[in-house]
Amino acid sequence: MSFRFLIRPVLVAVVGVMFYAALPIAAGAQEVGGGTLYGDMRTVTQDMLSRAASDGNNFLHTNGNYAQTRYYPSRQINTSNVGDLRPAWIFQTEVVESMETSPIIVDGIMYVTTSFSQVYALDAATGKQIWHYKHKMGPITTYCCGPNNRGVAVDGDMVYLGTLDAKLVALDAKTGKVVWEKQVADPELGYSETMAPTAVNGKILIGTNGGEYGIRGFVKAYDAKTGELLWSFDTIPENSVGVWATHDATGRDLHRDIAAEKATLAAQGDPYKTLGGGVWQNPAVDLNLNRIFFVVGNPSPDLDGGIRPGDNLYTDSLVSLDLDTGKYVCHFQYISHDVWDLDAVSPPILVDVKDKSGKMVPGVLHGGKTGHIYIHNRNDCSLIRYSEAMVPQENMWVLPTAEGARMLPGANGGVEWSTMTADANLGLVYAINLHQPMTYHVESSPYPDGKLWLGGAFKVIATEEQWGNVTAVDYNTGKIRWKVKTAQPMIGGIMATAGGLVFTGEGNGLFKAYDSETGSALWKFQAGAGVNAPPSSYTVDGKQYIVVAAGGNTQLNYKRGNNIIAFTLAD
Amino acid sequence: MNRLLWFSVVGVLLILLSPSTPSANEAPTKTVAVCTSCHGENGLPADSNIPILWGQEFYYLYVQLKDYKAGRRANEVMSDIVANLDKATLRALAQHFSEQPWPSNGYRAPDDEESKALAALGAGECVQCHLGGFEGNSRIPRLAGQQADYLKRTMLEFKNKVRMNSPAIGSLLASYSDDDIAAMAHYLAGL
Repeated sequence: MSFRFLIRPVLVAVVGVMFYAALPIAAGAQEVGGGTLYGDMRTVTQDMLSRAASDGNNFLHTNGNYAQTRYYPSRQINTSNVGDLRPAWIFQTEVVESMETSPIIVDGIMYVTTSFSQVYALDAATGKQIWHYKHKMGPITTYCCGPNNRGVAVDGDMVYLGTLDAKLVALDAKTGKVVWEKQVADPELGYSETMAPTAVNGKILIGTNGGEYGIRGFVKAYDAKTGELLWSFDTIPENSVGVWATHDATGRDLHRDIAAEKATLAAQGDPYKTLGGGVWQNPAVDLNLNRIFFVVGNPSPDLDGGIRPGDNLYTDSLVSLDLDTGKYVCHFQYISHDVWDLDAVSPPILVDVKDKSGKMVPGVLHGGKTGHIYIHNRNDCSLIRYSEAMVPQENMWVLPTAEGARMLPGANGGVEWSTMTADANLGLVYAINLHQPMTYHVESSPYPDGKLWLGGAFKVIATEEQWGNVTAVDYNTGKIRWKVKTAQPMIGGIMATAGGLVFTGEGNGLFKAYDSETGSALWKFQAGAGVNAPPSSYTVDGKQYIVVAAGGNTQLNYKRGNNIIAFTLAD
Repeated sequence: MNRLLWFSVVGVLLILLSPSTPSANEAPTKTVAVCTSCHGENGLPADSNIPILWGQEFYYLYVQLKDYKAGRRANEVMSDIVANLDKATLRALAQHFSEQPWPSNGYRAPDDEESKALAALGAGECVQCHLGGFEGNSRIPRLAGQQADYLKRTMLEFKNKVRMNSPAIGSLLASYSDDDIAAMAHYLAGL
């Protein structure tokens, strides 16, 4: 018997049921402002996070992808048409203060953060606000270099934020409501969060501020769903003295008085409890090796080495841990017993590099406050080469004195916290630099229980010129390929794209695009406030956008503002 | 402040004050009255060597009161006042004053010092902690619109190792001339 006569009515019935079943989903989608009939494309899966490097629609990580190349694969905006780039929209946040945020974009929803740990969710096509989270800050915040926030992490249907009062907060991505909140460390002792967290394999990774306050630094991993602490790695081991290295990674004499240090060690013991070693920025993640790579900040107190004998491990170092357990795998210390605050803060990048024999190996790149880019072997953290100096260096490593000793670079570097970007096709890594001459003053004082503990002072030499650079370095040879001088020291970040461009902004408000091969300046826009944040990119409805925050900067005192500006090509 | 007045105030304090344990949220009215006798009924002290407290950052005020009590900061009047106050009271006082509106000090900085002041403030990167408008945050005090004489005296006390409860500030200010300090004090008071 044939039942074909039933096909049409059954089909109609089935479609009808589907239609009615879909209605609540559609209505629900409107309530939450964005889910589709076909399921919610806004849920961030680990698969999406893992392949972010080839995702030309979203921008899912602070530094683009787990390797932190900040290389955006979309080429709709390119060297031939970037001259037509113009603002699509401008959103102004309530907070008018230093902006260091990397915008994150998930399926057309943008998450940006402001100083004082606030978060906005915006429609990435129109700039319209969807929600605004205002963190209830505790009365005690102890931080360096501005009340900044460098962005959120995204995973599942959650958005994760570090706060100035040293909390890790998990928000519902659709509503901005708090799902859980954890106190990461005690703000009274100098711990604080200005960095963006990293989401990987159901874990949220975060470091800490505090090298100016005598903390004991760490990287912690929390369960993304519950906030349970999974592991914690101390960046300062109980035996912090190391190998008594007398020279830095570039072979320069550090002028250490090893005998005096050993005597102090014998008298006072290991200084690990208040030795500093904050981790300012996201770790890079290698999912094949199942390891993370991050850099550790300066020892406390910054300028006074007399009371902290030894190499001060693992300050001023590249460190690699097992992702699952947080156990130490390897490290490389750039400066042992640093007394200049020329620490390791710019987030490392994972790319394949030529080793000394010319063979391609997995590598790690780091841009130092010293002014060099360091190129490592990823397997054992060993140094393969370091680049030519990108900024003037003079009198390295003169010891700080009571009256002040002049040395270049000044204590802001070099390369500061600014993100770099790498174009693996060109074999180039791009850094933004500072030339800001300073004198280094030393004056000893005991641990002050959470107050600023520098062991002296840094003083900008007001009578000397300051400026900056955008520098492209061939990481397979260490040679500078091109360098463009800028009017003022640079701080913020830079992004490369498959369109052959690098984008970066300046303290005077200029946001620029350069040809990534040659350094030709192809486009600029005056943003009205310092552009001192790393740019992002994304695609919505077939249009590629470039987006950047223009809010100025506390550290270099660039003009403050509150703009998030998205650019696209003129029609 | 003349000697007779000083002795009278201290005398009154010693009679009036007794150890107290108020609720954590309230500053005892008696004690606040002691403060306002020097720091001003409406927040503006008559003596320009005495700092404005109204609207100052809560945690900075609390730390200063604790420092007076522990001897980390020394001032004849303040040390006597806090000697008999417990931590809860200190906290409540800090909270109380931080919630008041900052008064206008009516001070105008000399125009011809501005560029010297800005150069000096830039060299010390003061905004890194005190923020762009010198409004302070949490443990970092507001400097903008503070009493000019108090600011100058304070900075000189840091420079000359009289005030010792912020070693980083002491080291930084030691690198400035007295002229630079005067220019900075005037500029900040005029904000």
